[in-house]
Amino acid sequence: MARKKPRSGFFQSPLVRWLLIGLGLALSVGLLLFTLFLVKLDGDVRTRFAGVRWVLPAQVYAAPLEVYPGASLSLDQLRHELDRLGYRAGDELVGPGTYIVGKGSLRIDTRAFAFWDAAQPEQRVEVQADDKGIGGVRVMGSDQSLDLLRFDPMLIGSIYPSHSGEDRVLVKLSEVPPLLPQTLILVEDHNFYSHGGVSLRGIFRAAFANLRAGHTVQGASTLTQQLIKNLFLSNERTAKRKITEASMAILLERHVSKDEILEAYLNEVDLGQDGPRAVHGFGLASQYYFNKPLNELQPHEIAMLVAIVKGPSQYNPRRAVKLVTERRNLVLKMMADAGNITPDEYQEAVQKPLGVVSGSGGGAARYPAFVDLVRKQLAGLYQEADLTNEGLRIFTTLDPRVQEALENRISSDVPELEKSRRMVEGTLQGAGVVTSVEGGEVLAVVGGRDARYAGFNRAIDTRRPIGSLAKPFTYLTALEQPDKYNLQTPLDDSPIDLKLPNGQIWSPKNYDRQLHGEVPLYMALAKSYNLATVHLGLDVGIGKVKQTFAAAGFDDVPELPSAFLGAIDMSPLDVAQIYSTIASSGYLTPLLAIRAVLTKDGQPLNRYAFKLKHTLPEGPVYLTTWAMRKVIELGTAHWATSVLPAGQIYAGKTGTTEDLRDSWFSGFGSDRVAVIWVGRDDNKPTGFEGATGALRIWGKLMRDLNAKGIEPLPPADVEEVAVDPLSGLRADPGCGETVTVPFIRSAEPQQYAPCANASKSTPLNWIKSIFK
Amino acid sequence: MRRTAAAVAVAGALLSGCATEEGESSTTSTGSVLPAAPAAGAGPGAIIPGAGTYIPPAVTQPPITTQNYPHTIQDTSAGPAVLSLYKQAQGARAAGHSDQAEALLERAVHIDGRNPFVWQALAGAHMDLGHSDQAESAAQKSTSLARGNPYVEAGNWRLIAAARQARGDSGGAVQAQARADDIARALAAN
Repeated sequence: MARKKPRSGFFQSPLVRWLLIGLGLALSVGLLLFTLFLVKLDGDVRTRFAGVRWVLPAQVYAAPLEVYPGASLSLDQLRHELDRLGYRAGDELVGPGTYIVGKGSLRIDTRAFAFWDAAQPEQRVEVQADDKGIGGVRVMGSDQSLDLLRFDPMLIGSIYPSHSGEDRVLVKLSEVPPLLPQTLILVEDHNFYSHGGVSLRGIFRAAFANLRAGHTVQGASTLTQQLIKNLFLSNERTAKRKITEASMAILLERHVSKDEILEAYLNEVDLGQDGPRAVHGFGLASQYYFNKPLNELQPHEIAMLVAIVKGPSQYNPRRAVKLVTERRNLVLKMMADAGNITPDEYQEAVQKPLGVVSGSGGGAARYPAFVDLVRKQLAGLYQEADLTNEGLRIFTTLDPRVQEALENRISSDVPELEKSRRMVEGTLQGAGVVTSVEGGEVLAVVGGRDARYAGFNRAIDTRRPIGSLAKPFTYLTALEQPDKYNLQTPLDDSPIDLKLPNGQIWSPKNYDRQLHGEVPLYMALAKSYNLATVHLGLDVGIGKVKQTFAAAGFDDVPELPSAFLGAIDMSPLDVAQIYSTIASSGYLTPLLAIRAVLTKDGQPLNRYAFKLKHTLPEGPVYLTTWAMRKVIELGTAHWATSVLPAGQIYAGKTGTTEDLRDSWFSGFGSDRVAVIWVGRDDNKPTGFEGATGALRIWGKLMRDLNAKGIEPLPPADVEEVAVDPLSGLRADPGCGETVTVPFIRSAEPQQYAPCANASKSTPLNWIKSIFK
Repeated sequence: MRRTAAAVAVAGALLSGCATEEGESSTTSTGSVLPAAPAAGAGPGAIIPGAGTYIPPAVTQPPITTQNYPHTIQDTSAGPAVLSLYKQAQGARAAGHSDQAEALLERAVHIDGRNPFVWQALAGAHMDLGHSDQAESAAQKSTSLARGNPYVEAGNWRLIAAARQARGDSGGAVQAQARADDIARALAAN
């Protein structure tokens, strides 16, 4: 009937009819495809969100600060340490991470921390000082005193994947201060708890605001949409992406709770870029900007973090201070208007500066050279993916105090040395390593004069000839044969020509170009005579010297006579290894920067216990160390006595390479080994000997470190004998000047010197005395 | 007898505490000399005209003496922090948590690396954990730092004997045990 009804000509046209049919078909197909798309997307969203595995880079911690009665730490130094850990000074203890400065004491609310061996609870303590350092530690509100207080260790970096640079510290919603999600919702997505993934109200409001302003001032994306975009989609601004994003947001809300979405958002959001490292999530951002955990943030700090969500590169708190402060204050205003903070809190908060820590953000990425060493040592122990994704917690040996001292010395002394020789600014470089004598712990590493620069690590990656730093190992090899050598054995400091395997003639010279005739063995080392050393080396043989190096912890020594004079390429860390074996009386402990590894839940995974092996005999090591003490007492490093504490004994050796290209010093007391290298990256001459370059840094460093001197207690197989310096024979009260020299028992000098009373009774002396 | 020896040792420890700030002093010999290990022969040296001849002592190894050596870690210069870690570690070992003891003792070494009692306890913890190589090395280290203290050395030789036995080195174990017994006898005879 209807068909017969007369119609306008337009609809009767067959063309139009076909068009309409086509349109209908197209619509149906489109709807079907869109439905299929949604179904697929729904599956996608579910599986992908369920499968979201946070990239959880391993977190690297410094060694914890241990405070105990008798520790040589002043209250000022302790305050400095607390500040470094992000503790706040105030008038009252308002929670963990705060302290009060009192007269002669500090009252501290410590942070809880789960260590490898025990979980340490939060504690309120009073630390008292005495004239030597820490006097006592008392638990506040009780009579209990503590023998030892361990602070939470500093987070010094993370092992993030190199391709994405994605770094984060995972947080749980339940552990986050409630003000943070409140503020985030208030600012970014007011209707978060009522919308279904997209917010029409939000869109209208944003559109209105943008129209009124004439440009984009407000985004309409909900937190859910933002999360979807960050997790699964690209950054392009196309309609297709927008539709996908909105659809996925709606679908996600059907499967996942609001809290789960919020928690994911808190951990995913991009909050800054630190060179190659992308700062994801509020947990890391709190460390990165404020150097403290999220739960210690104050309202103005929370407001700042929420303020920069809008665009962390534009709103960079370290660069755009004014812009960020304005937006932070806007956020604070919204917080106050919503009643989330009181008017008083608001007034106080807007007055505050941003409070962002300088540099690359507190502990994180602050010690690139050390973290580089940790990374290299870990690489041999774990799969890369485990390090970048599993949230492992790595406990290292870095001592921030020692590290700071080393950094300060190198960053101030290298430019000073450079100036003194009128070198082009920035051409002289320096590097250094400090280790513990016992336990082989790497305490500090500096890879260049700019310690914050995460580039070429000269402490580990540069291998340079070590020059005379090699000499003690030749002398030690000789002293291992007590029947042939002792510290007094005269060495021949005369010219020598050697034919090398390549046919060339090698004619080593003394540094002063002089010949010294016969010199006592210890003096040849103290004065670093090349010719005497080569004669001695040839006598004991390069093979044996190479073995001594290997026993000390380095086995890449070329079997050439030039090795006696240090034609051996080593890094400062390698040198620290072999010197620490001597420093610890002949016990080789592989230098390690890692102590323990825990899973992200705090379960112990691995611990790296001290590993030591007795590889060099104690007596000869003691004798060699005695000669190395003479290097400082009366030899090439005598300058150091002008800066080192009087009455303390240290041992070491200068090193200088051909044409003054490298200046080295390596030495130790009873608790610290320190190695300093000074040179140029282009390997051109610097004009510095070991004594005029590296030694200057080393001496002041050991002083700054308050390094303990050597206890001169000889081991059981060594006997100290007073000898006449002229003849090297036994002295007694008849001799005017004597030196006490250690000898291996059974190989001490058998004869009395001519000056000794014991000699004077001989007929020859009796006759001599008559004719005097 | 034992009490006298202990009193002497404590008095000596006090004296040495006055003499030097840290470590044991071996300059004062208030204790008695104990029988020594056999001597090694000393060859004659070359004679230089005008020089008198020194007659080497019959003893070339240091004698075992009680001197003023500390019996226990309490008698040493160890501060409260090291003592506390040491006690906690001994407690952990007794409770079967030797890995924890190891970590505690390493903290003690970090604070004071030169206390022979700490190294001895560390050797014990290594031994508990079946690391006999490490146990022997740490015991040797303890002996090196003990500077002739027979109370420490006896314990170290017993640990070394156990470590060698665990490795299947029976000969070495017997030697180490003999050395431990020698010292123990010498101490008992005092």
